[in-house]
Amino acid sequence: MKRTTRVVAATAAAALALAGVAAATTPATAASKLKIAFVMGAESDPFFQAMKVGAQAEATAENVDLIWQGDASHYDVATEVPIVENVIAQKPDGLVLIPTDPTGLQAANDKAIAAGIAVANVDTHVGDLSKVITFITGDNGDGGAKAADAIAAKIGYKKGGSYQVVVGLTSATATTNVGRLNGFKAQVAKKYPGIVIKDVAYSASNPQTANSNVKNWLAKYPKLNGIFAIDGTNASGAAAALQAKHLTGKIALVGYDAYPANVALIKAGVFTALIAQDPAAEARLAIKTLVAYIQNKTKPAKRDVVIPNVALTAKTSSADLAKYTYVASK
Amino acid sequence: MSDSKQATAGIKEQAAWRSKANSLLQNQTVLLAVTLLALGLFFNWGSGGMFLDLGTLGTVLDDWGAYILLAVGMTFVVITGGIDLSVGSTVSLSSVVAGWVMVGPMHADLSITGSAANPYLLLATFICLGVGLLVGAVNAFLINVFKIVPFIATLATMGAAAGMAIIISGGMPLQGPNNFDLGLDWKIGDFQLPISTTVAVVMVITIIAGLFLHKSRFGLYTYALGSNAFATRGAGISPEKQILKVYLLSGGMAGLAGAYAYIRLGAGSPSNGMGMELYAIAATVIGGASLMGGVGRIFAVALGTLVLFVVQSGLLMMQVVEVSPDLKQVIVAILIAAAVAVQTLQNKNGRR
Repeated sequence: MKRTTRVVAATAAAALALAGVAAATTPATAASKLKIAFVMGAESDPFFQAMKVGAQAEATAENVDLIWQGDASHYDVATEVPIVENVIAQKPDGLVLIPTDPTGLQAANDKAIAAGIAVANVDTHVGDLSKVITFITGDNGDGGAKAADAIAAKIGYKKGGSYQVVVGLTSATATTNVGRLNGFKAQVAKKYPGIVIKDVAYSASNPQTANSNVKNWLAKYPKLNGIFAIDGTNASGAAAALQAKHLTGKIALVGYDAYPANVALIKAGVFTALIAQDPAAEARLAIKTLVAYIQNKTKPAKRDVVIPNVALTAKTSSADLAKYTYVASK
Repeated sequence: MSDSKQATAGIKEQAAWRSKANSLLQNQTVLLAVTLLALGLFFNWGSGGMFLDLGTLGTVLDDWGAYILLAVGMTFVVITGGIDLSVGSTVSLSSVVAGWVMVGPMHADLSITGSAANPYLLLATFICLGVGLLVGAVNAFLINVFKIVPFIATLATMGAAAGMAIIISGGMPLQGPNNFDLGLDWKIGDFQLPISTTVAVVMVITIIAGLFLHKSRFGLYTYALGSNAFATRGAGISPEKQILKVYLLSGGMAGLAGAYAYIRLGAGSPSNGMGMELYAIAATVIGGASLMGGVGRIFAVALGTLVLFVVQSGLLMMQVVEVSPDLKQVIVAILIAAAVAVQTLQNKNGRR
């Protein structure tokens, strides 16, 4: 209900703004300012909030009007499709779409292109990208590899040594989990053959479950060297478990996602490293690419762009920590 | 003559024995206790002697504490013939509100450590309790005033509370004081007990709730409502008032479970209560409460909750045969179904 109200309000506001523009300003200046829309799943997701910061900065730099639209909390095809439709009705010059589903959003994606809107996909993508100007995403496999590097560095990996690590997952199927785990395994196999992945367990998105998984592992593997907590939920649960068992700093803990709460725990020595995505950079590049295309009809040299993840550690400068830390909504 | 007398006496004795054995087997509590013992020994063997270690038992009790709070509230609700699906989201929402108060108005952060954190944790507990009572009141309002069935009413508040938790937190954990020691090292001499202060408090709450259900008029009315709502009204008891009290209790317990999660993790996260309602319901049913209403005992539910988390931890600890996390889910599901099936059969025999 709240979303509907908001969409209606946004549409009304846009209509009023257009009317105002038509009445008060010369068409030339109105036409010169481009309008670019961003549509994502759950607006409140910290990942998208961080993305918004980048999008706003780039929009200001390029003198572009930014329409930011998503459901308040649902990451869902059913709520995203009508939002895209509403945005198309506002006739933006460009649309950055973060589809919640590759097939579910294909029709809305193509409808926008048919309406003459330049479309980019960010983070996730629709099944058929042939008419999309650019697709920009973070690299989960690279993030997993960086996690392996961080654990190896912390435990002082030496050739011929034998080390035990465990991986806390949310589920067997979450695509981000799978990408990160595969990247982690590949890096271990390639560079750190002495590291043995003893076990994995699921948290089902509950940090309390992640917490007991880690506590049980600590009992089961008294010689455990490292933990890869594959997302924010597992990171929170694992951090609390190491603190409760007074093992902070003694066992390498690499988490994912730069929530402010977890970034603070890098400084406290609980996390060896946090692997962070760079959603702001994804958003900046998407707007830059679309503006270049709309103004000069230049397509990017490569349609698909992968932005690497970064490992945040105690040695990371505070400027970089601030840059990568996710920003809360509001 | 005397022969037949002897035979009769023998038969009588046999019958007495059989009925004693039967009633013992039909006793929920005994059955659950035997199951627990068997599982404990099995997992201790399977884990190479590590399961009956105090550290592992401490982890099992940590989980037990989180879920028994919900299961106790759920038992009252289920006895009235209702259900409360909102408890998991209430855990999330209440712990997020507590985190928000810590980070916002209280300006409490990681610099507050050790016993200096205690007043903050106490405040967080009261905030969580308040939020839980509020959700419970909304549930009762929807059920009493709009006559919405509990399943749908609490499904609505489940969604609303989860959404609010995300909006308030921005989808992230809110962290107040994080490094504190709530007497996690209880010792008698050199003997380390596997019980933390929080778990001990939860045990006391559970016992009080049990007395409340089984010894008070409030408990009697709760059973009465679940057995025959119509007759209850006839007896001069207001079902609406009883519904209000029971859902307030369930909401309040969920709020306390939110405080428990907040203290356990040192953070209020919108996923702190993710999926907890389902395990709470499962624990309640394993403990012998009937979703049809009118039946349920707190002590048995406490044992049922323990069974659930002995299995959860036990499967992870297995070393003789490694159990994959996917297989683990299947085994837990089968266990729940089996536990309920045993009880259904039992009731069939017992209620002739």
